[in-house]
Amino acid sequence: MRIRETYLILVLGLIFSTIGSASSHGQVTADTLRAVTTVSDTLRAVTTVSDTLLAVTPGADALRAVTPGADTVHADSANVQTGLAKGEHFTVFGSYASRVLLRFKKSPLFITVLYIVIIYSIITLITLLVIILMHRSRLIHDLKLKEYLLEKYQKSLMDYLFEEEKQDEAISELNRIASNPMNRQVLINQMIDLSVNLKGEIREKVQKLYLRLGLKKHSMRNAYSRKWHNNVKGFRELAFMNIRDANDKIIEALNSNNEILRMEAQIAMVRLADGNHYDFLDLLEKPLSLWEQVTLHELQIQHNLKVPVFKKWFGSDNESVVMFALEMVAWYKQRGAGKEIMKLFEHKSEQVRFTAYRVCGDLGLKMAFPGMVKKYPGESFKNRLEILQSFAKVPQEKYLKFLRSVLDSEEDVQLQIEATKAMENTGEPGISLLIRLMKKKSEYRNYQIIIRHVLDGRIY
Amino acid sequence: MERAIDILMFFVLNAIFIVTALIFTAYLTLTIFSAITLRKYLRKNSYVDYNSIVASPMAPSLSVIAPAYNETEHIIDNIRTLLSLYYNNYEVIVINDGSLDDSLEKIISAYELEKVNYYFDYRLPCERIRGVYKSRNRSFKKLTVIDKRNGGKADSLNAGLNVCRNDLVVSIDADSIMEPDALLKMVKPFMEAKEKRVIGAGGVIRIANSCEISDGHIQKINLPKKFLPRAQVMEYTRAFLMGRMAWSELDGLLLISGALGMFDREIVISAGGYSTKTVGEDMELVVRIRRYMAENNLDYDVVYIPDPLCWTEVPSSIKVLARQRSRWTRGTMETLFTHRVLFFNGKYGKLGLLGYPYWLLFEYLAPIIEFLGILWFIFLVITGRLNWPFFLLLFGFVYFFAVSLSIWAVLFEEITFHKYERRRDVLRLVGTAFLEPLLYHPLVMLMSIKGNIDKLLNRNIWGRMERKGFNKS
Repeated sequence: MRIRETYLILVLGLIFSTIGSASSHGQVTADTLRAVTTVSDTLRAVTTVSDTLLAVTPGADALRAVTPGADTVHADSANVQTGLAKGEHFTVFGSYASRVLLRFKKSPLFITVLYIVIIYSIITLITLLVIILMHRSRLIHDLKLKEYLLEKYQKSLMDYLFEEEKQDEAISELNRIASNPMNRQVLINQMIDLSVNLKGEIREKVQKLYLRLGLKKHSMRNAYSRKWHNNVKGFRELAFMNIRDANDKIIEALNSNNEILRMEAQIAMVRLADGNHYDFLDLLEKPLSLWEQVTLHELQIQHNLKVPVFKKWFGSDNESVVMFALEMVAWYKQRGAGKEIMKLFEHKSEQVRFTAYRVCGDLGLKMAFPGMVKKYPGESFKNRLEILQSFAKVPQEKYLKFLRSVLDSEEDVQLQIEATKAMENTGEPGISLLIRLMKKKSEYRNYQIIIRHVLDGRIY
Repeated sequence: MERAIDILMFFVLNAIFIVTALIFTAYLTLTIFSAITLRKYLRKNSYVDYNSIVASPMAPSLSVIAPAYNETEHIIDNIRTLLSLYYNNYEVIVINDGSLDDSLEKIISAYELEKVNYYFDYRLPCERIRGVYKSRNRSFKKLTVIDKRNGGKADSLNAGLNVCRNDLVVSIDADSIMEPDALLKMVKPFMEAKEKRVIGAGGVIRIANSCEISDGHIQKINLPKKFLPRAQVMEYTRAFLMGRMAWSELDGLLLISGALGMFDREIVISAGGYSTKTVGEDMELVVRIRRYMAENNLDYDVVYIPDPLCWTEVPSSIKVLARQRSRWTRGTMETLFTHRVLFFNGKYGKLGLLGYPYWLLFEYLAPIIEFLGILWFIFLVITGRLNWPFFLLLFGFVYFFAVSLSIWAVLFEEITFHKYERRRDVLRLVGTAFLEPLLYHPLVMLMSIKGNIDKLLNRNIWGRMERKGFNKS
């Protein structure tokens, strides 16, 4: 794409070049040259920046070297003298400018810029080529080194953890590794990887080793660093090693603008909590994204953490926290939250109401259905659809009339299908009603096609 | 008079200086922006664990829509790839767009399909749907196949949108190969959205020519052996890693490649779905959904992911490339014309003030200006009026700047994803960067001119991609 635009410059330049050549028809007359030189003088006066440009341009020397008479400071060319007062002294730039004028018949500043860009481009591409080649070699080297170090460190760690007689030797080796700042991070990462798969006493042994090697200092420094990516590392390490010394910093990061840092702070808070793993939700001012919710949920499952009563966050001012709490109530089947969920049908946020309807269906909260019937007409399309899907999850014969009215009144295919599914799920009463509807000929509704779709077991 | 012309020339010269400086500043700025965005993305991504959403019940539901027309050779493998992506909550909808070959029969047989009583409405305009197929085998329960009358890609995508029920839709070419984790990476921006609604996400498309493929997955990545596809590798790398990344950051992105894009279904339907009146339906959709959001005063984001998420075969013959580029040009023309109201229109924010003018001036008009310039150059050579020293200097200036930009792109690729493992491939790519402006670019420019002529003559040919097929490992 970029090449296209750079060609544009070429074309513009070409068009411009013809203006010059057309005016002189290939022959620079004395008058024209004088005029051009006057312009050049003006240019020189106006654009003193050109001198600076020239001074910093390595190409200027190169140009001088390949230009006959380049060392002459005085403009002694007959052609040039024709257009200038005799004996007038020029600066180096003047000489350069006149040569450029003679050769290119263009503004010296313009030509200089072209030279600069050419030289810049050549230098850039040579430099980049070297970087590309070096980077490739470094990649291979780093990979090999990492493999070697991991193997070596793993062996020392295993000796320390499982071989009593080799423990002292392992500690001295690990101490040596930890004293090298370059290798320290690799060692910590290795210890974290190891502790993920360990439990109980052995895991505590890793934590003790971490403290003994003085690695806490390294993690604390990272946690309080001004760079967010160091903070992330620090939080992670401290959380894994169960160290609460940087909790103030972690709490501060809960409302950081950086979403990665924020998420790492949330994870650290969950890990470091004494039992109330989700208390940090009260401190959240920023929305908890779906991504963060999923990550927290996975963490909960992975570490089999103590599950709190999530309904306590239904009153949170942070809508996303309410939605997360609803999701967790559904996941952990906290049916005791039924009444509180129903209150959320009146929540100002459409998304919260949506989640509440869904959770009622997931939990099979029959007492919530009259409320949903009431809310149905005033809800958005998305929420109406969700209400109907909940009816399909908890089939109840007494709502057949309501569902039939939905089927009759709604124009949208998805709503019709969901209402029909909910009717079908009630079993015999619903299916016989659907069969009756199929037989009934209506000029407004093609019930047959809708019902056939729903009754087709191959459509999952 | 002569003096007046000279003074005029002086001012024109300075105008050229300013334009040049602006263009260069713009490109260098875009390059810097891309570098910053890439660095930020890679650093953030190094702390992301995508596994947490693979099986999460909270992850949004997705519908992958893959239109297929005469794809008999690869369709079975490609559907298998689509069915084995790392994601839990998704369905695959393959649309047989009136194929003349035996694609449908092959799919029916391979996936044990039968016609079902599927009910849907033609909410978005599309050709008549002849049947919807589902599998008897529950292992393929994610798969839905739609058989419809031929109507083109946009028409097929609309058919897919009419049938699908999920929150997010992924449009993909049936002949492309998705990376297994592509959905995870693409869904992330939608899941991270807070104040702004993410309405579209695109990923980097890579070139699969000469790569070794097995069971619908890339096994070994090779740089194309032939120059033409290799030049396209260079072009794609530059366009995706430098251009689109920067435009995404600048909120001026106008195009998510039709080969792979994820969209918010509700917004796409509200905006009217894919336009069947253009051959550039991918760009037109992005512009239209952005316009829809702006006109309804809704905050939104369109994002780009630098990870290579999809592999596609590109033309390896001039004839096929010409057809493809002609179609791209016509698509650009049609989109820009349809949405001309955006041009420098502050109501649309950066879309109107930055994205649209850039596409109009640099993407659409540039080849035309170039072509006129070349005609002018030939005229000057013939009449002996050309200022050769100046021309050569200008040529060197353009050439080296272009090559250095390409080398930047190679560097970006090398320090980010370094998909080409062999050093030889990297060096060949560098070599291509030197040859591309001389051999490939003029060709593409002429193809773009042909596109303009085709459009003026109302020759609306889609341009069939003739596939050589991937190397089987």
